[in-house]
Amino acid sequence: MTDERQVKNLGGKRIISFTFITFLIGIMLAIQFQTVQDPVVRDTRDTWQLRADLEKGKELEAKLIREISSTEEKLSNYLNEREQSKEETLRNTLEELKEEAGLTDVTGPGVRIYIDKVNDQLVGYPFEENISPDLLSRLLNEINMYGAEHVSIGGQRVINSTVIREIAGSTKINGRTIKEWPIEILVVTKDMKTAEKLCHRLRASSIVDNFFIDNMTLTVMDAESDVTIPAYEDEIRLKNIQAAE
Amino acid sequence: MWLPILGLAVGIFLGLLTDIRIPAEYADYLSIAILAALDTLFGGIRAYLQNVYDEKIFISGFFFNIALAASLAFLGVHIGVDLYLAAVFAFGVRLFQNIAVIRRILLTKWSTNREKKEKS
Repeated sequence: MTDERQVKNLGGKRIISFTFITFLIGIMLAIQFQTVQDPVVRDTRDTWQLRADLEKGKELEAKLIREISSTEEKLSNYLNEREQSKEETLRNTLEELKEEAGLTDVTGPGVRIYIDKVNDQLVGYPFEENISPDLLSRLLNEINMYGAEHVSIGGQRVINSTVIREIAGSTKINGRTIKEWPIEILVVTKDMKTAEKLCHRLRASSIVDNFFIDNMTLTVMDAESDVTIPAYEDEIRLKNIQAAE
Repeated sequence: MWLPILGLAVGIFLGLLTDIRIPAEYADYLSIAILAALDTLFGGIRAYLQNVYDEKIFISGFFFNIALAASLAFLGVHIGVDLYLAAVFAFGVRLFQNIAVIRRILLTKWSTNREKKEKS
């Protein structure tokens, strides 16, 4: 009974003051504990020690600054290199694409082909000074089939968009008439072997006979190691072409 | 009954949380202050159990003892005598005495309670 009364007596003002005191003791204990664990070290250095420390600190700072600047330099070098290499790659790609599109002169192993007219007297009637575009297209197809990479006909580079057609009675390539006889066709192939193959296949092809029907001779020269094909002269117009998705 | 213990726990928790540190030179003062505070606390508990508890004496004793202990230590540092040892000794002895009295009182109460229960 007395216990219960005492517990009841503890309530109110007394217990609050006890709590307050224990709270203060708790805080003091915590502070003391922390101080003993890791005391605040007072700075007792004199002027010269401070100076020496300052000097050390400055040296460290200078060292760090040097390191930072050298690292930054390296970084900028790397960036430059990367940009340059990007540019280089782009240039290379552009050159490759130009070559592929036929905008540059191309030299390589290849074959010369000459188309000439048969002597008038042999045929017996005057020669029609025009080569049929169909025949020329067929020849071109055949050459391409045998492994030609770049072709020019009569000094005109044949590219993907090249049209061979007859306008007002004269056959034109890239809009230009083929005038000079014999017509020279230059073919550049991947390598010498392909060039030789192309040469032999063309000689054995029936296209020679087709040319003879039109009173023309097709002469395929031996494969050469250096055949230069001129670049496409005009600008390539890509009016109706869209990017593939 | 539990509120003072909760207060102690909250105090320790807050003290650790605030991360307050005092210079090592003042650690002695704080330690003696803690000793004084503990002495006052246990004195208060003993007074309460002996039914002579007085709120004013308890609160004023708490702060006065802390201040006295700290100033004694301060004086000792300045006159070159480790006076804080005197405080430690005095408070230590009183702490033990108080705790012993508290123990005896509680034991007596416990045994009388048991006897009462056995009788009833």
